[in-house]
Amino acid sequence: MSRSTWWKLGSWLLLVIAAVSLAAASPFNVQDDKPTADKLAKPANPANKDAAKTSAPLPDGAMKETATTTCTECHDSGIILQQRLSKAAWTKTVDKMIRWGATVAPKDHDALIDYLSTNFSPDKPPYEPPKTATERATK
Amino acid sequence: MTSRRQFIKKTSTAAFTLAAIPSALAWALRAAAPGSQANDSAIVVPDADGLILRSYRFRDLETPVEYFNTWLTPVPRFFVRNHMHQPTEFGSDSWKLTIGGEVVKPYTLGLNALAKLKSHTVVNTLECAGNGRSLHRPQVPGVQWGKGAVGTARFSGPRLADVLDRAGIKVSSKHVAFRGADEVPSNVPPFIRSIPIEKALDPDTLIATHMNGAPLNKNHGFPARALVPGWIGAASCKWLTEITVLDKEFVGNFMSPGYRLPNTPVKPGETVKPEDTHSVTSLVVKSVIASPGDGASLKLGKLSIHGAAWAGEDSISRVDVSTDGGTTWSEAELGSDEARYAWRLWKLDWKVAKPGAYTIMSRATDGHLRTQPAQAVWNPSGYLYNAVDQVTVHVS
Repeated sequence: MSRSTWWKLGSWLLLVIAAVSLAAASPFNVQDDKPTADKLAKPANPANKDAAKTSAPLPDGAMKETATTTCTECHDSGIILQQRLSKAAWTKTVDKMIRWGATVAPKDHDALIDYLSTNFSPDKPPYEPPKTATERATK
Repeated sequence: MTSRRQFIKKTSTAAFTLAAIPSALAWALRAAAPGSQANDSAIVVPDADGLILRSYRFRDLETPVEYFNTWLTPVPRFFVRNHMHQPTEFGSDSWKLTIGGEVVKPYTLGLNALAKLKSHTVVNTLECAGNGRSLHRPQVPGVQWGKGAVGTARFSGPRLADVLDRAGIKVSSKHVAFRGADEVPSNVPPFIRSIPIEKALDPDTLIATHMNGAPLNKNHGFPARALVPGWIGAASCKWLTEITVLDKEFVGNFMSPGYRLPNTPVKPGETVKPEDTHSVTSLVVKSVIASPGDGASLKLGKLSIHGAAWAGEDSISRVDVSTDGGTTWSEAELGSDEARYAWRLWKLDWKVAKPGAYTIMSRATDGHLRTQPAQAVWNPSGYLYNAVDQVTVHVS
């Protein structure tokens, strides 16, 4: 092959690589329906990956430790933080969870319901949930 | 003169550099974009993109309503509802589906055998029965969904009827139960629900293995899920491992007390006896405003109001929109994409001449002329919230 053929081949290769990578990475090449603002959002901090695995803390109170150990064994605290329930509804919920295997000492039963119904009552402001990262995570 | 070797070296360096530019550029653009939110609290969840995190463990993710701007919802934007933990190890080799109960010939299927069966496709709007739960008053326990536990996708896989036919269902068959491989902690009952045999044999009821043309990912039930079109999401059991034909409705937590509605409306806050309830099946008529968003600040002039409307097994006949808090209504234009169980996108152009606060409402009507109520029917578990949707915007 002549030198000029190599040059031609090389240039084409470069163009193709550049075009393909530009197409893949350009935030303006919106082939799916991603809204532009979102497309431009800052990439997620990978450090949050681990942070996400630990639940947000429950509020202070006499039953904080008990609630944390008992409830977050099976689910994270977010599901508690978002409830806004009356004492009657909290009682039903706690009793259902006990039937489903939550370990609550009889002496803690009423105090736990008090703790939940005081901190997560209907008059409390709405819970603001976090969002999942805008970049697709790799498996 | 450049030698061939030098040239190759230069070329590869240049290619490497060039290839790196777009990603660096993209990153810089993202970082510098006006209005971009440095959301350091965003949490990485596999195969989920910008969803509202209702619960991380077990996983419940909600789609922000502004994403309801395409007929098909991209999979990473599709809401996720898990009752328990996703199965941890579930390879395509180890997965098995057993078909048994009131059948002549029980059998077991692997993924390869399932893939050989004739595949069908159904575009379905899947909605969690509890979508909108947080809007009920008084509030009820459960995942506090806003408006986005709903999405539309193209689901494909063999017909459930074909899989049942190979086993030969007996005349005693009344219901078909699905069991999911959800990992159940402690004494939590397994996820098993049943659907009536008529719905199970409907040609549109599938064992779905694909969603929008790609194999199901884990969030959505890999490798196979039931797809019961037009019905509440809970009917479409994920990580499907057992299909059991029964001579009656399955008895278990997720059939009762779970997923039941009072037979007659009750006063908000009232308790209901189990015998006065029925299983929730089809979704009901509903619409959601995707844009403008609630609380948005807008400029005078021409604006577009758009969203989606669906009605489970029924069709959407019209969507009406009000920009004055429900005093006057205009019929919205329905999008051209349609399929039996899929939502219709809708839009209305709106010319605003006067600054001020406006309450925008959307109200869908189905094929049987059932329309969204001004106020949703309260029920103890907060299912099927379908009040007329509304947002308030400020125009200046």
